Amino acid sequence: MGHELIKARLNLCAVLKNLEDLVQYDPEMAALSKQWNISIQFSILLGPKAFIEFQNGKCRVGQGKLPKPTIILFFFSPAHLNRMMDGRGFPIPLKGFTKIPFLNGDFQKLTKKLEYYLKPTDELLKDTTYCELNTRFTLNTAAHAIPEIGSLDRVGIHAVSHIQNGDILMKILPDGPAVTLRVRNGNITPVSGETERPMACLYMKNMQVANAFLNAKLDAFTAIASGDVMIKGQTPMLDSMGLVLDRIPLYLG
Amino acid sequence: MKTYQFTKSQELFKRAAKVIPCGIYGHFSPAPLVPATSYPFYTARSAGARFWDVDGNEFIDYMCAYGPMILGYNHPLVDQAAAKQIQSSNCTTGAPSVMVELAEFMVDLIPAADWVFFAKNGADVTNYSTMIARDATGRKKIVMIKGGYHGASSWMQAPGHHGTIEEDAENIIRIPWNDVPAFEKAIENNPNDIAGFIATPYHVPVFADNEMPDEGYWKKIEALCRKHGIVLIVDDIRHGFRMDIGGSCEYFGFTPDLICFCKALANGYPISALMGSQALKDVTARVFYTGSYWFQAEPMAAALETLKELKRIDGPKKILATGKKLLDGLVKVAKTYGYDLKVTGAPSMPYLRITNDESLMLHQDWCAECTGRGAYFTSHHNWFVSTAHTDEDIQQTLEIADDAFQIIKQQYGDRF
Ligand SMILES: Cc1ncc(COP(=O)(O)O)c(C=O)c1O
Repeated sequence: MGHELIKARLNLCAVLKNLEDLVQYDPEMAALSKQWNISIQFSILLGPKAFIEFQNGKCRVGQGKLPKPTIILFFFSPAHLNRMMDGRGFPIPLKGFTKIPFLNGDFQKLTKKLEYYLKPTDELLKDTTYCELNTRFTLNTAAHAIPEIGSLDRVGIHAVSHIQNGDILMKILPDGPAVTLRVRNGNITPVSGETERPMACLYMKNMQVANAFLNAKLDAFTAIASGDVMIKGQTPMLDSMGLVLDRIPLYLG
Repeated sequence: MKTYQFTKSQELFKRAAKVIPCGIYGHFSPAPLVPATSYPFYTARSAGARFWDVDGNEFIDYMCAYGPMILGYNHPLVDQAAAKQIQSSNCTTGAPSVMVELAEFMVDLIPAADWVFFAKNGADVTNYSTMIARDATGRKKIVMIKGGYHGASSWMQAPGHHGTIEEDAENIIRIPWNDVPAFEKAIENNPNDIAGFIATPYHVPVFADNEMPDEGYWKKIEALCRKHGIVLIVDDIRHGFRMDIGGSCEYFGFTPDLICFCKALANGYPISALMGSQALKDVTARVFYTGSYWFQAEPMAAALETLKELKRIDGPKKILATGKKLLDGLVKVAKTYGYDLKVTGAPSMPYLRITNDESLMLHQDWCAECTGRGAYFTSHHNWFVSTAHTDEDIQQTLEIADDAFQIIKQQYGDRF
């Protein structure tokens, strides 16, 4: 599968997915979007479909088509979407022309804020709240990128084909955030939060460790040996997942 | 029972991580030990079946350096032979005479083989075996078993691993263990293109039960290899001298063309050996392969003494019996707590797993608790037994296991 198509799917399904948490955990963005009742359909020629929906102060990002979106944004190709995500292109609105000021105004504020959280600097990471949100978003991005890379990227497909059935828990100690990757017959579904009966666990000692680990600034072998990262259970599941995670920077790096 | 702390191991590891990639790499990496922080990383000294870590903790060692130790650490006869050799010569210009003595001894010892080639590590000889198979047949492809391990060269690693490229696996066909039809299919799909079949005497995957060959498996594989002109390679690096003094093929009753030995060959001195049939001797002679230290005399002298001693005491038989005693005891102790401790593989190098919890967490916790009390158990890999393990060691191990089960029972209650 083409690089641009995989990247587009990651942008839609993993990166934009963070908008859900952004409106929940960033007070400024929560206030901004509180009254929104609007849905945006992303439609990509020869590419994936996805949508973002705001309702009652909540955001939902999903795959597929909404029956009646407020806005439809069209892209000529996956590469076109990727250019927009990189800030180098514009979508073509097919529906919802009256909402263009919203897209260029408040919605852009939201996406800019997401970008701010996803592009950390050492200086920004010194701020606990920033670090926490960056970590949460990185964890989410990883969790939602895994099924995509595992089903589209050659190395990813091979790695995932070896993962046995069961739940993989990734959790930041002591109290989360956590995500569960539900593996069933080679399909992986990310679920936010913990699972009661994990088959394999990866615990990160604290937020700082998690941040460094998830942003590939900490070697996994060293982190495990020193106890900063703790793994248990059917750890070959984590090894395969690691091979998939290591592919993310090839597309989103 | 007193439990261990690993403060100095951790301190040393912190220093190591600054100057050595991931601190401790390869199969000694603490990463598969669960939890890693409950295991010692650095050894201070060793003797017999035991080692002491840098924190002063004492362990009955059931990993035996992951296989090399078979007669016990610091074995007087082997160490004396090695020391004596060093005093006269070690790594010099010219091959050492002990090399011939060792080769003659090994050719006598291993009924299936007519010659021997020495190297250092296991992968040196598994790799060489495929070169010989290719040169002998003029073919490209090597059939191996899914989940099989023959070393860390790029073709031996599963595709997708860092540092490997897709082309590394281009001429490798992976089939499931114990699957003769899969081998037949591979032959059919690659007519006149399969150079060699390589497998361990029985299947030793990590994190999974080990699997013996089905009745008649090796005979069928051997017959297919003969019929289709495929070189039959047995990787006896891990199993070698732990099942039969004549090589594990004797135990299972088949005749390979090439046999790879390493681990237990010299009781810890660095040497590996490729042995083969007369038919492949001249081909081997023309396949160039060597290494800076492959003519080092000390490990050869150690290997000669190790093999002599193993033969004298029938080492394989002894450790199969010791292993059985240990395993029977452990299974019994586990049962008293309601746990099913499943043992697979040979008793001299068994793989254990408590089946009650399929996630392995309970098993991992039990192994870590045992290690923290002085019985070094890994949860992911087969263990190793040596001729130095005594009845007292086993008795002490069973007491430790019992104590650890108590802790596990408290921790998990009746969940399993
Ligand atoms: C069955 C088998 N083959 C080959 C090897 C590779 O040996 P080495 O690590 O000495 O290259 C090993 C090592 O564990 C092994 O167990």
